[in-house]
Amino acid sequence: MNYPIWQLDAFGGGLLIAIIAIIHVYVSHFAVGGGLFLVLTEMKGLREGSAEILAYTKKHTKFFLLLTMVFGGLTGVGIWFIIALLSPGATSSLIHIFVFGWAMEWVFFLAEIVSLLFYYYTFDRLEPKKHLILGWIYFACAWMSLFLINGIIDFMLTPGDWLTNNNFWSGFFNPTFWPALFFRTFMALMIAGLFGFLTSVNLKDAALRRTMVRYCGIWLLAPLVLLIGSALWYKAALPPAQQEMIFFVAPEMKPFLSVFIWLSPLIFAGGFGMAILRPQSVQRPLAWLLLLLGFVYLGCFEFVREGGRRPYIIHDYMYSTSILKSEMAKTQETGLLTSARWIKNRTVTPENRMDAGKELFTMLCLPCHSVGGLLNDIVPIAKQFSPAGMRSYLATMGHASPYMPPFAGNKEEMDILADYLTTRLVQGTGDAPLKIPQKSTTPAPFNPETAEYLILASTDMGMVLSSEPEQSGIDFSFAPPTLRAQVIERGEAPAVLGKEIQVSYRIATDTGTLTGNMSPVGSAFEAALAHMPAVSKDFRPYLLAEVTAMKNGKVIATTNLKIGISTTIGCRNCHGGPWRQQGLTGLSRETAANILATHDKRSKTRLSTAFANGSIVACRDCHADSSRDAKGLPEHLHLSASIHGFHAAYIDQDSNNCNFCHGGNPHGATGGLEDLHAGLGLECANCHGTLADHAMSLLKHEEQAIKPSNAPLLRQIATKGSVPANTIKGRLPWVMEPDCLSCHKGFQPPEADTAFNTWTSDKQKLFAHRHSEEGLLLCSSCHSAPHSLYPANTPYSRKAGNLQPLQYQNNLYPISADRGCAVCHTVEMEEELHHPGSLGTFRNRVE
Amino acid sequence: MNPASLIPAPDPLQVPWGWFQILLSITFLLHLVVMNIMLGWSIIASINHIFKQSKAAENRLISKKLPFTIAFTVNFGVAPLLFLQVLYGHFMYTSSVLMAVFWLSIVLLLILAYYGAYIYNLQFVRLPGLHSLLTSFIAVLFLAIAFFFTNNTSLMVSPESWPRYFDHPDGLLLNFADPTLIPRYLHSVFASVAVGGLALGLYYDWKKRHGDMAAAAQIPSAMNWFSYATILNFGIGTWYFGGLPLTIRTVTGAASAFTLFFLIAGIGAAILSVIYGLQRRVRRTAFAALAAIICMVVVRELVRRQTLAPWFSTSDLVVVPQYSPLLLFLVVFAAGLALIWYMIKLVLPADNPAATPADSEVQS
Repeated sequence: MNYPIWQLDAFGGGLLIAIIAIIHVYVSHFAVGGGLFLVLTEMKGLREGSAEILAYTKKHTKFFLLLTMVFGGLTGVGIWFIIALLSPGATSSLIHIFVFGWAMEWVFFLAEIVSLLFYYYTFDRLEPKKHLILGWIYFACAWMSLFLINGIIDFMLTPGDWLTNNNFWSGFFNPTFWPALFFRTFMALMIAGLFGFLTSVNLKDAALRRTMVRYCGIWLLAPLVLLIGSALWYKAALPPAQQEMIFFVAPEMKPFLSVFIWLSPLIFAGGFGMAILRPQSVQRPLAWLLLLLGFVYLGCFEFVREGGRRPYIIHDYMYSTSILKSEMAKTQETGLLTSARWIKNRTVTPENRMDAGKELFTMLCLPCHSVGGLLNDIVPIAKQFSPAGMRSYLATMGHASPYMPPFAGNKEEMDILADYLTTRLVQGTGDAPLKIPQKSTTPAPFNPETAEYLILASTDMGMVLSSEPEQSGIDFSFAPPTLRAQVIERGEAPAVLGKEIQVSYRIATDTGTLTGNMSPVGSAFEAALAHMPAVSKDFRPYLLAEVTAMKNGKVIATTNLKIGISTTIGCRNCHGGPWRQQGLTGLSRETAANILATHDKRSKTRLSTAFANGSIVACRDCHADSSRDAKGLPEHLHLSASIHGFHAAYIDQDSNNCNFCHGGNPHGATGGLEDLHAGLGLECANCHGTLADHAMSLLKHEEQAIKPSNAPLLRQIATKGSVPANTIKGRLPWVMEPDCLSCHKGFQPPEADTAFNTWTSDKQKLFAHRHSEEGLLLCSSCHSAPHSLYPANTPYSRKAGNLQPLQYQNNLYPISADRGCAVCHTVEMEEELHHPGSLGTFRNRVE
Repeated sequence: MNPASLIPAPDPLQVPWGWFQILLSITFLLHLVVMNIMLGWSIIASINHIFKQSKAAENRLISKKLPFTIAFTVNFGVAPLLFLQVLYGHFMYTSSVLMAVFWLSIVLLLILAYYGAYIYNLQFVRLPGLHSLLTSFIAVLFLAIAFFFTNNTSLMVSPESWPRYFDHPDGLLLNFADPTLIPRYLHSVFASVAVGGLALGLYYDWKKRHGDMAAAAQIPSAMNWFSYATILNFGIGTWYFGGLPLTIRTVTGAASAFTLFFLIAGIGAAILSVIYGLQRRVRRTAFAALAAIICMVVVRELVRRQTLAPWFSTSDLVVVPQYSPLLLFLVVFAAGLALIWYMIKLVLPADNPAATPADSEVQS
C-alpha cells in the first residue's frame, strides 16, 4: 500500500529472506551458545590443567570469530536489508515500535565485538581469571542480543496486549516471549555442540579427540531434551488462532512440522553415534551431517514460526501484503488502485485493464508469491483456474483460505486481477464463449384425427450430471435417470393403460443402441437406465429415446423424448486440467487427479494411489448418495452435503455460482438451464437457495449434525448465506427438495419467487413422482422432467426439448395447455380434473 | 505523476524527533570516521602494493588492523542506519527498493571484502604474491559499497526521480540524474583516503611518543596522504557544492544560513588541517580534521533537510510518547560504554602499551 514492490519474479516468494534468515539464524544461535561453550571449555582446560584443551579452545575461538563475527554479523545486517526491501511497511513498524530495543541490541552487539576480539587476541596473554571474565562478558552480551531480538521476533507472531495498548513492553514481553527465549537458548547450546563436533573431530590426538567429542556430545544432547520441553511450552503458549494455523489450517506447514519432529530423535541418535563411533573417518562426515541436520532442524522451526503468522506479517495487525488490518475494510470499499500509493493506473479503461491487473498482482500477490520460482510459485496455481474460478477464489480468501489475506480491493479489481492472472500471467482454464451448433430433430408422427393411443414419456430428472467414470476415473455422477411412460387410450374418458400392453424403449448412443422393456409401476411404465453413456462424438448434452407401446403384438403408439446428460462439469474452473472431449466438455483425468490430490491432502486419504492404479474412485463408497441409495460410511457426510458444504466456502456468492460446477453456463457446451423458469429470469437459487444457503440446508440435516466434519464446514459458511443460518431447515439430498407448490400455491400463478427452505417431506412428494389430482397422470407426463419443463429452451435444438408438445399439439407448451384437452379427450372438458387452472390459457408464452 | 503522492506515510515516533537526530548525528560521526579509515586504508594499501612502494611495515599494519575497522564500521553503521530509518524510513525504504539489487548486494560485497581482509591479514606472510590483488579486490568492493550508499542517500531525497520505478520495477535504478552524485561520492572517497592517512599518522605519532623512532619516519608519508587528498577534496567539494540546488547555495532563510555557516567553518577547519598536515603536526591536524568532519556532518544533515523541505520535515512526525524504552536505552548505552572501558582496562596493562591486543601478532 505504502511502498513500491521490488519485482523479483523467480526469486520472489520469500526465497531471499529464507536463504539469508535461516543461515543467519543458525550462525547467530551458534554465536550465543558457542560463547558459553568457549568459556566453559576454557574452564575445563584450566581445571584439568590441560594445555591441549586450552589450545583446542583457542583454535575453536578463531573459527568461532571468523564465522560468527564476520558471517553472522553481516548476514544479520543482511536480514535487515532484505526485510526492508521485501516488507518495508512491516520493517518500518518494527523499527518504530522497538527502536530502543534495536538500539539496545546495537549496544550489546558492540560489546560482543569488543569482548570477542579481546578474548581471542588475549588468549595466552592475559591471566586466566581476567581472560575468563572476557568470555563471560561475551556470552552475556550475546545472550542479551538473543533476549532482545527474541522479543521482537515473537511480537510478530503473538503481539498480545500491544494490539490494544500499543505499549512497548506489552509487545516485547508478549505471550510467547519466555518459552521462545528458553527454546532459542537451548537451541543455541545444542548448536554449540554441533559446531564443537566439527572442530573436535579434527584433533590429531586420539584420546583428546575422544574426550572433546564426548564433551561436545553432552552439549548437544542435554539441551536437546530441554529444547523439546520448551517447544511444548511454546506450543501451549500460542493463542488458539496461531495454533490452528500451524497445526490444522496451513497444509504447507505439515512437512516442516513433521521434519522437525522426526529430526529430534535423529539428532539425538547422531549425538550418541558421535560418542560411540571412534574412527575419525566416521566421525568427520557424521559431524558434517549432524551440522546439516541441525540447520534443517532450525530451518523447519523458523518456517513453522513464520507460517504461524499467516495471513499476517504482524499478527492481527498487518497483513502479509503490508496492508493494515484496520484499513482493510476501507480498501475493499474504495479499491486498491485508488488508495495505494505506488499505482499508475488509477482509472481503469479497456486499454489499460491488464496494466491495472499487473499493478494489482504486484501489490497483492508478489509480496508472498514468486513467478516461476522455488517458493510459493503462483504460476502452477493460476494455471488451474479459469477467470471465474480465480475470481471466486479471490473473493473467498481470508475465509475459506485463512492463510491468505482477504482480497484488498473492490469487486471490479477482483475481476481485473482474476483476468490478469488467468489470461495474461498464465493461460488458465478459461474458455472462449461457445457458439452452440443447431441440431435437427423431428417429433414422432401423430394424427389427432385417427390416433387411438398416445404415449407421454419423460425421465425423473431433466438433466443428469455425468463424470464419465470410465474415462475420468472418478465417479460422482448423479444416479442414471429413470425413464417413465404413460400410455393413454384416447376417448371421452381416456384410460391410462397398464399391464395389458407392452412398452419398450430404444436409445441411440455413440456405442450402439440401448433397448429394453419398461415395467408397469402404478399407472406408468418404468425403466431404470443403469448405464447411460454420454454423447462423445458431435457433442450435445442429451440422447434421444424412442418409446413404443404395443398391444397384442401391434404397435399402437410411439413417441420421442430427450434424456439430458451433461458432462460439462466445471471442476477445472479451479482444479485445472483440460476438457476431456474436443476441448468442449467432460472431466479429464488430469482434472480428476488434481481433485483427488486435494482430497488426499485435506482429508488424509490415499485416493490418488487407487486412481493411479487404474481404479475408479467412486465418491459414494464413502459418502452416502441418496439419489441411488448408496449408504457410504456412517461417519462421513452425504456426498451432496459434503461437496456443496466444502465448496460453498470457496465459491463466491455473488455470481450465479451453480453454473460453476453444474454446466449451466450459457456460454459452455451444455448451454445453460433449459427449463421454462430459466426463461423467466429465475435462477437455481430461487428454489435451492444460494450456494451457501443450499449447503447449509444439507449440512444441517439432522443426520449430518453429529458427524465430525460437519462443524468446520458449517463454521466456514456460517455468515456467507443470504438467509440467517439459524433459520435454515435441514434436508436430506434428493429426498427433501423444493416444492413447486411453495410458489404455485393451489396450482395458481406464483405468489413468490423463492421456494427455498420449504422441503418436500419424502420422495413421493417430489415433482418427479407426483401425480395430478385425479391420481393417475404424473406431473412430468404433461410438464416434462424437472429442470426441463415445457416450453424448454434446449440450446442445441428447441424441438428436442419439446418433442411431445410438438408431436401432439404442434406447440411448445405443456400437454393440454390452452384447453388442448383433445390430445386425450374426445369431448370438450368443463371440469379441471387434473389440477386447478388446468383448463386455463398457458401464461408464459414464447416466440 | 506528482511525486508527492508516492511518498509513503511515516510511522509515529515514541519521543520527539530531536532525540533521534542527536543520536543519528553522533553515531553517524563515529561510523564516518571508522568507515573512512577502513576505505582509506584499503585504497592506500592497494596503491602501495600496486606501485610497489617500500611500505612493508605500513602494509603489515593495515593488514592487521583492517578487519577491526570493518567490524567497527559495520557496528557503528547499524546505529545511524537505525535512527535514519526512524526519521526518514519512508524515504529510505522507498529508495532502497528502487535500487534493491545494488542495495542488497552490499551485504555480499561486504562479506567478501571482510573475508578478503582476514585472508590479507592471516596469510600476509604466506601469500605475498596476492597482496596487490587482494587489496585491490577489497578496495574495489568497498568503493562499490560506498557508491551504492551514496546512491541511496541521493535517491532517498529525490522523490522527483521515483516515478522511474514504473518502467524499472526490478530494483536496478541508480540516481545518475542527480548532478551531485559523482562529486558527492568522490568527496567521501577522497575524504576516506585523507582520514586513512591521518589515522596512520596518528598511529605512528603514538608509537613515536612511546619511543619507536622508526615510526617517526613514516609520519610524513601518512600526512601526505591526508594533506593532498584533502587539497583535492577542496576541488571536488566545490564541484559538489555547485551541483546543489540554488535554494541551498544561497542564503534564503535560517536553514541555508546555518548550512553556509557550518560549510565555511568546515572549510576553514579543513584548510587549517591541511596546513598542519603539511607541517607534520599530527595531533593538531587530527583536531582540525575532526572539527571539519563534524561541520561537514552537520552540513550534510542540513542539506538533506533543505532538499526534503518541499516534501517533508521531521517536525511533521507524530509523537505518541513512551519514554521508558529511551531511558532504558540510555542506561544500557552508558553501561555498555562502561563495560567496554572496563574491558579495555582489563586487557591494557598500563605499564606495557606495546602489548595491546590490537598490536599483537595474529596467531594463525
